[in-house]
Amino acid sequence: MMAKIVGVVIILAVLFLVILPSAFFIVDETKQVVVLRFGEIKQVVTKAGLHVKAPFIDKVVKLEKRFQMYDVKPDVIYTADKKNVVVDTFAVWRISDPKVFIESLKNLAVAKTRIDDVVYSHVRDIFAKHQFDEIVSEKREALLQEVTKRSKRDLQDFGVEILSVRVKRTDLPDETLNAVFNRMKSERYQKAAAIRAEGSREAQKITSDADRQVRVIEAEAQKKAEELKGEGEAIAYEIYASAYSQDPEFFSFWRSLQAYRKAIPGDYIILDERSEFLKYLLNPTQ
Amino acid sequence: MERNKMIRTIVIVAIIVAIAGYFASGVYQIEPSEVGLVKRFGRYVRMAGPGIHYHLPYPFESVTKTDVLTLRKIEIGFRTVSTAPLTFREEQEESLMLTGDGNIASVEAVVRYRVKDPTKFAFKVLDDYTLVKFFTESVIREKVAGRTIDDVLTKERDVIANEAAQKIQELLDELDAGISIQGVYLQDVSPPEQVADAFYDVINALQDKEKLINEAQKYANDVIPKAEGEAQKILNEAEAYRQEQILQAQGETARFLQVYEKYKKAPEVTRRRLYLEALEEILGSQKDVLLLSQSGQLSILNLTDIERLVGGGEK
Repeated sequence: MMAKIVGVVIILAVLFLVILPSAFFIVDETKQVVVLRFGEIKQVVTKAGLHVKAPFIDKVVKLEKRFQMYDVKPDVIYTADKKNVVVDTFAVWRISDPKVFIESLKNLAVAKTRIDDVVYSHVRDIFAKHQFDEIVSEKREALLQEVTKRSKRDLQDFGVEILSVRVKRTDLPDETLNAVFNRMKSERYQKAAAIRAEGSREAQKITSDADRQVRVIEAEAQKKAEELKGEGEAIAYEIYASAYSQDPEFFSFWRSLQAYRKAIPGDYIILDERSEFLKYLLNPTQ
Repeated sequence: MERNKMIRTIVIVAIIVAIAGYFASGVYQIEPSEVGLVKRFGRYVRMAGPGIHYHLPYPFESVTKTDVLTLRKIEIGFRTVSTAPLTFREEQEESLMLTGDGNIASVEAVVRYRVKDPTKFAFKVLDDYTLVKFFTESVIREKVAGRTIDDVLTKERDVIANEAAQKIQELLDELDAGISIQGVYLQDVSPPEQVADAFYDVINALQDKEKLINEAQKYANDVIPKAEGEAQKILNEAEAYRQEQILQAQGETARFLQVYEKYKKAPEVTRRRLYLEALEEILGSQKDVLLLSQSGQLSILNLTDIERLVGGGEK
């Protein structure tokens, strides 16, 4: 009884642990599988789930089904206008046909070298036909589409699908980089100098305009002042004239008397007998 | 017999425990931000939300957990070295980008994304980090390459970020990668450190310019009002002079006319009286009066002569 149970358990265990795993295989959603029998491809499974194979003799090779990134090594490319630029590209790819992939490329390492060769040569070919400015601009998109198209075509035969080739970086080689930095610096210093010069020009404009205004304001004030003074004097003269013209002779007499009072200083006085000044002094009855 | 029975019990219990344990291995927990993708023999069959769930034990079913709510973040051009205190390290190899006018700008950015479709995300993309990072680098560079350095550094910043986010999303959708870009955020966008001084000099120059203009303005604001004040003063003085002249004339003529009124009534008498008063005043204060005669002789004038001349007038 006991022995029977133990025997059944052992048989079941062997069945479960050895034969079943060898006769069935699980394909994950992320994987695709090639079944090899002595190196010969027996099945290709791209659908996830449980599948059957011949136990022990069939070998399962699991391949990635998802997108992968391949980072192409950066390298210097000479553009059509004889400039050099370091281009760093990457490709998004996936294994589209596991059978062809295994037949032609054997494994991932070989596949990567092939992708590198193809993508890199197309990048180089296409970029070298264009000007530096076209590569380093939004026009690059069109070039990349061409690279993607060509790479896709060439790698199709290897069971590899190229979904996208893009440029991660376009950099300048170190020597060129320093030249650019120097140019940028001198451009900026020039700009700074121009701004400062502009500043002093504006300042000069403002100060000289202020000076002009000051002089005009003062001159205008002087002009008005003279006018006012003249007006005052004119009115005064008119007043004098209208008053004194009533009797010019008496005015002359009266005004002279006032003048004598003011004009003759102290201590002593020398007078000419004939002087008009003395007209009334010496001839009061006239 | 007793011993055999005990062994049997132990074996049965052990088998039951083993079987129970085997089935219990199908219990799993999904965190609030996650979903669980249950696969039967590797094939996706159902999705499970947060909570405790059960799937058939190995090898029948398995679960892949994917965080769908947490925003994933990738840093471009810099790395956060530590979070407390917050320190960063620039990655010049990533951050230096060529601009459309042949200059170089240093652009640091962050891209945030999350899972839009967990099945696509889990089953179609091998390395989401590298995929998004490479796409972001590539797209930001393209956008920077289409603009001048001044635009990149100033007004086009937001535009670059928005356009980049849109473009990355398009590229990911082409791959049907199940990833949603939440946004591209430009961080430090600056001139490369190798040329930073020159760029700062431009900023300084702008400030210098501003300062020069301000000083000039200050000067103008100072001298013009002063001049206006001065002008007002001159005008006031002139006005004062004008009125003074007029008033003086009015005063003097009024006096004259009054005197003249009296004079008209008795011209001779008045005239003499005025004359004598004046003489008295002038000569009264003199010590000597010298007369220069027609022959050129100086002679002292004395008042009696005058009185004689006048005809012995009144005192």
